[in-house]
Amino acid sequence: MIRNILIIAILAGLATVFVSLFWNFGSSDTLTPLATHYANNGVEEVGAPNLVTSVIVTYRGLDTLGEVTILFLVAAIVSFFLKTENTNKEENSPKRETSEIILTASRLLMPIVMVLGIYVFVNGHLTPGGGFQGGAIVATSFVLMLMANPRFQINHRIIATVESVSGISFVFIGVLGILLAGGFLDNKILPLGTFGKLFSAGAIPIIYSLVGLKVGSELSNILSNFQGIQMKNYKQ
Amino acid sequence: MVNILSILTMNMISPINIIAVSLGIAFFMGLLGNKAQRTSYILLIAALLFNTIVSLQWLYGLANNLVEAQQIFTAGYKPPFSINLLMGLNEAVIASLINIVGLLGAIYMGSTLKKNGSGSQVVFLVLFMSLNVIVLSRDLFNIFVFLEVGSIAVAGLVILQKGVKAVSAGFKYMLATGIIAGIFLIGIIFIYRFTGSLNLDQIIQSNPAIKQGALISSFLILIAIILELKPFPANGWALDVYQAAHPGLSAILSSAVGTANLYVLYKFTGMAGDSLMHYISLIGIVTFVGSNLLGINQKKARRLLGYSSVGQIGLLIAIMGLLPHSNSNFKLIFFGILTSHYFAKAGLFWISGIIKAENIKEWSVLRKKPVLLFLFLSFILALLGFPPFPSFWGKWQLVMELSAQGQFAVIIAILVGSFFEVVYLMRWAGYSIKLEAGTLPEIKLSKYIPVILFGLGLYAVGYFVSQSVEFGNTINYLPLLVVAVLLVVDFLPAFVKNSLSILATGWFAYLLIPGQDTIKFIFTIIFLVGGILTLIPGFQIKGKREGFYPSAMLMFGGLALLIEASNLLQFFFAWEIMTIGSYFLIIRGKKSMPHALSYMLFSVGGAYLILLGFGMVSAGNSGLSLDLLSSIKVYPVLAMSLMAVGFMTKTASLGLHIWLPGAHGEAESDVSPMVSAILLKAGVFGLILLMLASGGEQNSYSGLFYVLGWIGALTALVGNLGAIFQEDAKRLLAYSSIGQLGYILFAFAIMTHMGWLTGLTYTINHFMFKAILFLAIGGIVMKLGTHNMYEMGGLIKKMPFSFIAVLIGIITLAGIPPLSGFGGKWLFYNAVIMKGWYFQGAVVFFAGTIAFLYLFKLIYSVFLGQLKDNHRNVKELSIWFLLPQYILIIGIMVFSAKPDLILKPIGNAIAMAFPSNQLTWEGTKALSTLGYWDATTIMVVIGGMFVVLLGWLMFMSRKAQKVEQFNMVYAAERPERPELTHVSHNIYAGYNKALGFLVAPGITNFWNYTTNLVESTGNFIRRIYSGNGQSYAIHLVSYIVIVFIIYLTAI
Amino acid sequence: METIALITAFALILIGLFGILSNKNILKIIIGFSLFDTGLHVLIVTVGYIKGGTAPILDKVVGTSNAADKIVDPIPQALVLTAIVIGLGVTALMLAYALKLYQAKKSLNITDFKELKW
Repeated sequence: MIRNILIIAILAGLATVFVSLFWNFGSSDTLTPLATHYANNGVEEVGAPNLVTSVIVTYRGLDTLGEVTILFLVAAIVSFFLKTENTNKEENSPKRETSEIILTASRLLMPIVMVLGIYVFVNGHLTPGGGFQGGAIVATSFVLMLMANPRFQINHRIIATVESVSGISFVFIGVLGILLAGGFLDNKILPLGTFGKLFSAGAIPIIYSLVGLKVGSELSNILSNFQGIQMKNYKQ
Repeated sequence: MVNILSILTMNMISPINIIAVSLGIAFFMGLLGNKAQRTSYILLIAALLFNTIVSLQWLYGLANNLVEAQQIFTAGYKPPFSINLLMGLNEAVIASLINIVGLLGAIYMGSTLKKNGSGSQVVFLVLFMSLNVIVLSRDLFNIFVFLEVGSIAVAGLVILQKGVKAVSAGFKYMLATGIIAGIFLIGIIFIYRFTGSLNLDQIIQSNPAIKQGALISSFLILIAIILELKPFPANGWALDVYQAAHPGLSAILSSAVGTANLYVLYKFTGMAGDSLMHYISLIGIVTFVGSNLLGINQKKARRLLGYSSVGQIGLLIAIMGLLPHSNSNFKLIFFGILTSHYFAKAGLFWISGIIKAENIKEWSVLRKKPVLLFLFLSFILALLGFPPFPSFWGKWQLVMELSAQGQFAVIIAILVGSFFEVVYLMRWAGYSIKLEAGTLPEIKLSKYIPVILFGLGLYAVGYFVSQSVEFGNTINYLPLLVVAVLLVVDFLPAFVKNSLSILATGWFAYLLIPGQDTIKFIFTIIFLVGGILTLIPGFQIKGKREGFYPSAMLMFGGLALLIEASNLLQFFFAWEIMTIGSYFLIIRGKKSMPHALSYMLFSVGGAYLILLGFGMVSAGNSGLSLDLLSSIKVYPVLAMSLMAVGFMTKTASLGLHIWLPGAHGEAESDVSPMVSAILLKAGVFGLILLMLASGGEQNSYSGLFYVLGWIGALTALVGNLGAIFQEDAKRLLAYSSIGQLGYILFAFAIMTHMGWLTGLTYTINHFMFKAILFLAIGGIVMKLGTHNMYEMGGLIKKMPFSFIAVLIGIITLAGIPPLSGFGGKWLFYNAVIMKGWYFQGAVVFFAGTIAFLYLFKLIYSVFLGQLKDNHRNVKELSIWFLLPQYILIIGIMVFSAKPDLILKPIGNAIAMAFPSNQLTWEGTKALSTLGYWDATTIMVVIGGMFVVLLGWLMFMSRKAQKVEQFNMVYAAERPERPELTHVSHNIYAGYNKALGFLVAPGITNFWNYTTNLVESTGNFIRRIYSGNGQSYAIHLVSYIVIVFIIYLTAI
Repeated sequence: METIALITAFALILIGLFGILSNKNILKIIIGFSLFDTGLHVLIVTVGYIKGGTAPILDKVVGTSNAADKIVDPIPQALVLTAIVIGLGVTALMLAYALKLYQAKKSLNITDFKELKW
């Protein structure tokens, strides 16, 4: 109890920091010069209607590479952290079989969800959404399968290959930017194309698709590693 | 080689390739899966090697002005529109440091990384990629992203170490870094709000300090990065990781991650106004002092290293806040201290993984592998800022800079923190040298090589930094070269190395003596001829005597440099070198471990006072010449007192003397004369320099010298009194040294011509007779295997030559005519009477009578009385012990018969400073205003009387019958304790009642009390590290709040 | 509008922190982190808000000319995406840690993991 009061007191102290920030905040009516530059020149320079995508994939492409790396890193860590000792699959049967209805429904839904995900990341430069969102949706399809059927096995080999190939390609496209265009991760290695079309905005659709594939496979990878542990817990 | 480098620099590899190649390879390693561990490990090494080459290439190019600093614009747009990286000289240095430790760290952790498969290698590679980015990037949010990449990678690598400890430490780490990241993010988003940019240069340009909202945002950003640097006390989470993680990872955390984060702080400091910088320095100092205080009681090696890491990084944070970054020496200071920390901490963590000893007491196992022990000690000394390591130069320059700014309180705080660090690191060093050694696990080459390379790197960078520091190029490295040679040939038998050492010492003397003034000449003779004489007994020692000669030459080399020194830096360098050497000599004695530590602590404490004094001397003056001692501008009396007290730790004056009896008494037989007859004179030499510079007779420090006079007198009394109650022959001599040095201090403090003649005569005499006595007694102790005088007796017939030597020694000491001690006494009375210091003089006189008591006890107990049964077969000391004694006896005889040979030139030399009431000479007759003294006549008369009496005695006893000593038989009882059979055991017990209070261990108790207070304070504060990760998170948030509130009240 | 969002964001951050600092259960601590992160995300988006602005997608409604007057700031929106992904990664790793800790001691109480101290 005393501890909680103490914590509240400390947080009250922290709140004073926030209050002073709040006080100085005010509201704003105009964009910062930086954002104005993006709004005015983004179309011309990058060629993507979705300015957020322009910022994420091109202007701040290095951050995005970092983000992808974080997921990749977590997937790698979780895989060697939760490495399970050759559990015998036959013994890992859950307590109760999943009903046929749920199984069938989920199998039916899975490809649809996956297609949605792919749609989201392929169109990332045009509409809301993008590689991360699409990738997350793709991974959701695997979550669905795992929830419906605990014995569902994600093929590690395929996932790892997709993950690595898309990652390498991402970096490769980034390096092409140095060689063919203005700098690392410059999207102008391909023509900007017609504004607002699917195949436009230079390398953005490709990069975002790669990101989508990578994020989807990484999240699935993490999930499947957690699943491995879950199987082990069933056993115990 | 140069050609290859220049070709390389023609085609600079863009640093962006560090990211591209690292990530490309990392993603490719994912493709390999866990089967191809070998391939992926080779790829890992290749990538890290590539990074290293790129950063070193830039370092080479930028340092030699072959290329210009390069901006890298990602996505082809200029900042602030896209993220940009900057590769300048600073970045190249830091990135090179990081990448080198990455490469060697991967080699070191090879087996672990291979065992855990490509996943762990990916994490390792990504960690180093992220560190490179945070160093290079100029975009705030980008730095945040890659800091997070780094944190996650660290959290992933922590669990490479098996066991729940590592897992829980990793979780605590994640809790803490998660909160820090949140705070950081709030800061970033608001700084974007208030400045409209994420580009670091633009933000700094917009000067966030002028806008309150922006100021608070930059406060949050800075506090976040500071929290990443583990400030005390909000750092429990980090200590756990240091302790529990794989030692290879701890090394990386401390050196690479620490360095990268420090550089991020450096980049961010532009955002902070001056007021914030102030708090940054305060945070750093609190961390440095607090963390080192808490380290004192730590017994677990890696946690101890954790405390030390936190402390060192705290010091670097402090430096960042203290000195304006435009200061020309800022980078040098920072680089010097940073690289010492970098090399030493990585090296120590790596060693901890090699020897697998958790408790610092088990580190004695290092002795099984002398190279490792040498590296371990080098790393420790580097952390403590001893020469020739980079931190020495850094610390020196830091103190000089802070002195110039008048920030003496800060200097004191930093020195206190350093002192705490000395306590635990030197204790550890002592354990490793002295304790029982266990068994050393098998050492893999892959773990051994990185440590060796880092050891070499430390020395190389030390030399490099020394050449950049002001006056650093005036340092003479010759003695250190000699030490290096002796280290290399340490496998040779002792007599070869002994000859080499004697030759080298002679060579130093040959180089030093020409053109030397009289006083320096005398000290050259004492230090170096004395060195040769005390090295001679070493010929008796069989075997290799590992480590002895490098230590001895370090000490003698330091002493030689001390004489050669013409500026403050050279002097301090020599002083520290000498201190290290003598420490390693003293600790060689069987029971010397605690005494060597206490010697070291007093020496370091003294050295810090000297450093502080030197800082005051340099402040307000230009240059560093030793002549500045006579024109101190800032707090002259205080500066003078600090330096005097500093030198008095070496001369073991009252209050600072408690280290001496143990250190000198327990040292090896030929080391005791070195440290007693020779080393103590280094303190005297320092005092002489000070007092001469103070203006001689016309000085403005009469109050100080009056106090010093009293201290000298009381030291003489207490030292001599201590000696009479000793049963240990060597300790008796050690206490006698304290007393004698008290005389010397007293005599110099008189500050007249006669006083100084007295002081120098005493100095020369003490050198000669103490060397004789310690050589003789030390030789006997070695032969009999006991220090206790009551186990000796009747040795006169077995060791007549030693007896004669000791007799001459004590006659000189006691000041009995005709030997030179009497001359000293005559001068002394003249000086005291002329000065009118009657009270002090009486105390010294009284002390002199006490000296008779212990001298009688010494010679009687050892040589006279009955021979002990078990000593029937002892022989005379070997020629190697006798030879130097008899050479010194010749010296005493010459000085006694013809004192004018030495005293005349001394008189001339000090006449400048002390012109009035000089001693005049008429032939061999010395005249003062009070009377005269003719040493030659006295010698002839007393010599004649002696010969006549001796002849008469021999004539009378020609018919005397020789009686063999027979066994004592006790009627039906034997005394329980053997000492009771010795007649002179505890003979002065009676005096204890009258004078015992003077030797009551009040001073020892005072120091013990102080030590206990410090230790228990440390122990008490240490409890905040309860082990609960949640508490650590609470500390973290409270820390932010408290710093903010303090900060808020100030702005 | 911003005021409400800002207050919500700060409140979420503080509530999240309270959860992190006061709950003994490791899983609840991780939930606290999620709340903390969510608060941060709301905060970031709020900072990018421009009065009356619309989503920074230059479709037919917004048009490419004078877009700067109509849209909200795209940069915080890009940043928040990064922040979300990082938060996700951290949460996943923390959960993995929680699993391992549970396996080691069959306990999720953070006070049970105090082997290292002082």
